[in-house]
Amino acid sequence: MISPESEPVIQALGLSKQFDSHNGSLSLFSELGLAIHQGESVAIVGPSGSGKSTLLSLLAGLDNPSTGDVIIAGQSLTQLDDIARARLRSEHLSFIFQSFHLLPELSALENVILPLEIRGQQNAAAQACHWLDRVGLADRQHHYPTTLSGGEQQRVAIARAFATEPTLLFADEPTGNLDDQTGESIINQLFSLNQQRQTTLVLITHDNSLAARCDRTLELHNGQLQPRLNEERSQ
Amino acid sequence: MTLRQLNRLALRQSRASWRRLEWRALAAALLIAISLSTLLAVTGDRLEQSLGQQSAALLGGDLVLSSSRPLNPQRRQAATDAGLNSSAVIQLSSMLSGNEKFVLGSIKAISAPYPLRGTVITTPSQPSLPVPGTLWAEQSVLQRLGLAVGDSLSLGYQRFTISAELISSPDRGRGFGSFNPLVMINTADLAATKLISPGARVNYRLLLAGPVDSVDRFYRQLKPQLSNAERLLSLNSDDNMQGNLQQNLSRYLRLSAVMTLLLCALTILLSLRRYSHANLNRAALLLNMGLQPRQLVQLFSLQLLQLWSVCAVLGSLAAVLLNSLVNLLLTPLLNGALPPATSLSWLQGPLMGLILLITLGLPPILAMSRVSVMQLLRQSEPATVNMGRGLMGLALLSLLGWISYYLDSLTLALLLTTVLVGVSWLLGLLGQWLTRLLGQQLAPRLRLGRLLVLRIQQQRRWQRLQIPVMSLLLALMALLWLARGDLLNRWAEQLPATAANHFVINIQPWEKQLLAEFMHNQGVDSHLYPMVRARLVGKNGQPVDAAFNAEQQKDNSLNRELNLTWSTQLARDNQLLSGTWPPISNEQGHSVSVESGLAERLGLKLGDRLSFNAGSQPVEARIDSIRQVKWDSFQPNFFMIFAPGALDALPASYITAFYLPRENSRLVPALLEQFPTLTLIAIDQLLAQARQLIAHLIDASSLIMLLSLLAGTVLVITLMSQERGQRRYENALLQALGATANDCQRLDRLEFGLTGLVCGALAALLAELALWPIHQQALKIEMVIHPWSWLLLPLTGMVLFSLLGSLSRRYPTSLWEQLKARQGR
Ligand SMILES: Nc1ncnc2c1ncn2[C@@H]1O[C@H](COP(=O)(O)OP(=O)(O)O)[C@@H](O)[C@H]1O
Ligand SMILES: [Mg+2]
Repeated sequence: MISPESEPVIQALGLSKQFDSHNGSLSLFSELGLAIHQGESVAIVGPSGSGKSTLLSLLAGLDNPSTGDVIIAGQSLTQLDDIARARLRSEHLSFIFQSFHLLPELSALENVILPLEIRGQQNAAAQACHWLDRVGLADRQHHYPTTLSGGEQQRVAIARAFATEPTLLFADEPTGNLDDQTGESIINQLFSLNQQRQTTLVLITHDNSLAARCDRTLELHNGQLQPRLNEERSQ
Repeated sequence: MTLRQLNRLALRQSRASWRRLEWRALAAALLIAISLSTLLAVTGDRLEQSLGQQSAALLGGDLVLSSSRPLNPQRRQAATDAGLNSSAVIQLSSMLSGNEKFVLGSIKAISAPYPLRGTVITTPSQPSLPVPGTLWAEQSVLQRLGLAVGDSLSLGYQRFTISAELISSPDRGRGFGSFNPLVMINTADLAATKLISPGARVNYRLLLAGPVDSVDRFYRQLKPQLSNAERLLSLNSDDNMQGNLQQNLSRYLRLSAVMTLLLCALTILLSLRRYSHANLNRAALLLNMGLQPRQLVQLFSLQLLQLWSVCAVLGSLAAVLLNSLVNLLLTPLLNGALPPATSLSWLQGPLMGLILLITLGLPPILAMSRVSVMQLLRQSEPATVNMGRGLMGLALLSLLGWISYYLDSLTLALLLTTVLVGVSWLLGLLGQWLTRLLGQQLAPRLRLGRLLVLRIQQQRRWQRLQIPVMSLLLALMALLWLARGDLLNRWAEQLPATAANHFVINIQPWEKQLLAEFMHNQGVDSHLYPMVRARLVGKNGQPVDAAFNAEQQKDNSLNRELNLTWSTQLARDNQLLSGTWPPISNEQGHSVSVESGLAERLGLKLGDRLSFNAGSQPVEARIDSIRQVKWDSFQPNFFMIFAPGALDALPASYITAFYLPRENSRLVPALLEQFPTLTLIAIDQLLAQARQLIAHLIDASSLIMLLSLLAGTVLVITLMSQERGQRRYENALLQALGATANDCQRLDRLEFGLTGLVCGALAALLAELALWPIHQQALKIEMVIHPWSWLLLPLTGMVLFSLLGSLSRRYPTSLWEQLKARQGR
């Protein structure tokens, strides 16, 4: 499915991260390497506190690594200043968060419109309508987040993430705040859209069944990122 | 994103923010700050003037030379030589009568050019001076005499036609008489009234105006040449003659205004901090969606601007309302002596609000724009926003700048702010200590006692802010009302019921006999006292500045003319303390009896030789007795009593006092009919006037106090909400551990009640302490304790705090939700 010779969309080279605090420094991981290709979906699993979110933030250029580099769409993040990095993010990346992060005073539709407006897109409303329709919330456009269920809120967030047509989609525990059944349907939605749009998906989860639906699963454990084999998964 | 889109998003955010307590507190504080600043800018002049301050338009010139004696014509010549314009004004108090009624008025005789600064407004409008034979009268004159424009009115021996109603004029003169209803006449008519006689209290003024340099130069040139009788007033001269009371009130107003502003600023600061903290996730999300930090700053600045515009409109409206209230209260006192406020001063409040909001708001907004998008990946509470130290410093500086602009002095602003902060700090410590002490005392008696002590311990950080704010405000409020009560009631209480209630002054020697007969015929018991006005100019051959120390030289008795008299009889309310009575006068010289208070203040002893100067005539006398005088007997009393004959060379007038029952209303008109140049002072009227003045001033001040109290309440609510999350969590935990919801509520109530109680008690203490000097200086009455305030203030504090507490305490219903909400963060 993936041609090895094609350029990876995102690549991590010798990535390490440590936090210095008053009681010594904490090294989360070091010399970590990773390459993800166009259209691939990769799950990153690992116990809580192992540094998954931290890794994600490094990959997305939200934080600086202690050493190493991240290359997105051929551009080295360490070479870019904050503004250029923000521009790169808004051009290529989208996020889905565990706690949805919708603006409560905006309706579902307006929440989806917002990133489009920020990018100065012309037909923002029509496009937002289209994406809400795709996640099955056409009839909830004018509802406010507080009147939506958790699952519906996350679906609005998914519509918002896809609306900007990103190259790379990061999802950090997208089902973490949802019950199993809702999570399941959210995931179905996510994967089907991902398939259609050929988006590259980086999914952080501790849910094994969710990870199993990705093309690849990487496990972050004791500062090491290792591929997990299917046999292990099925245990 | 376009500006329009940003603005729309900001609007949405604003609207949603109304649900947040801190946003409402922010709006309320801003509104109060704007209303107050506007009110002060708009009515400040009026209030200040009624408190005895002066400004160019009020003085009627750049400089005013004022004297109790006719001014030396050389003065005017010198002014002309210095390139200044001048205008001579003569002002005195006298009776105005017409329509068979009379009123004690202030008469101002003017000559062209008048005024040099400011304008005189009359209806119908008039040439620059009253035409001889006519006068302009204030509405209060017309009202009290039942007259209208076109009617005639008597002034001394002269009749005048009222040609216009005087709406407003600068140069009202100073001192208590300046509050009397005013009429203006042409100086050409003054002689015919025969009002200017020896002993009459006349103020001669020279208004001066010209280029700033010339004015300054002339001021410096003239100042050292001034005679004893002369005073030179400039725009910024500090030799204000305002009384202690008025000075105190003026200080009080400034203090409460500054405090209100500080409270508002503190509220704005705290609520913005909380608001930006609560919006960190939003900021991170917007940044993550591609909004640039610059745009984020724009977005939140727009939101603040929107809030500001709403508050500016509402605040200005509130100021209009308050201003008309103040006008309503003060117009009867000032007789509309001031032209309306300029439109520029209406902008001052909104401008102040904008500066406050920008300087206090920008730091947290900038901090928000620096938030890490990482925030969104964390499930934990965002770390506190780190505001730029520099910007915070700038905010504080601009606040200080505004306060010093308002107080007209940077040192004063610094001093006042430092004192306020220092006192607050002390109060905070004291209050917190008291609360803890009370809590510990109560603990063994209560089932929740131990928890209460713990709670008080936990809340101590906020109590240190809440207690000083509330106790200071309660104290200020109590101060106003206690002072009002004391001033109005205690004054009246001091008067014996049948004390003389009418004084007649300006009785000329040739009228003495006739008047005595008149009184006798009317069956009124009265005694005529001679009176000579003279200054004390030396002791034992030395002039004042050598004979008296600096403190003594400031004493009133050395800075104005004293009333001297002669008598051989010691009045009933006089008591000989030392020396011999009566004073004597023979070829060796004269002797004088001195009032004990004056003697003590000036360090006068038996045997000292005093030099007096009446006009230009000197008199020397040796002190041969010291008398104690009961001043509150409401009989004419004198500092200096000579022997008959000793003062014969000096111009004398006579004074009398008598008691007239209210029913006898015929006597006064008859008296004035026969003796038109007499000045009659009805004590009832005078007291009523004084009381009205004080009551109105205090009422006007209480409007500002009300704003202060509101500001304080908003701040306390803000402070309470700051720790609401913590309190909520604690209560939930307690319930999980077996306490009932009722227990928790009781605990809250106990804590709030206790805090309020302590605030009230501290306020009562502060009020008594602050009233002490006022009683000593202004009222000259003994210090009194106000038991009611000690009872009511703690009670008010308790009720207020419990109320505010229950307002800021709306817990979600489910216990589980509270615990989960805490953990989830
Ligand atoms: N800014 C920071 N400073 C110090 N320690 C941090 C910081 N950010 C994360 N950590 C620590 O790094 C570890 C990994 O956190 P995280 O990446 O959120 O783990 P995961 O998402 O896998 O649960 C945690 O122990 C966390 O406390
Ligand atoms: Mg995580």
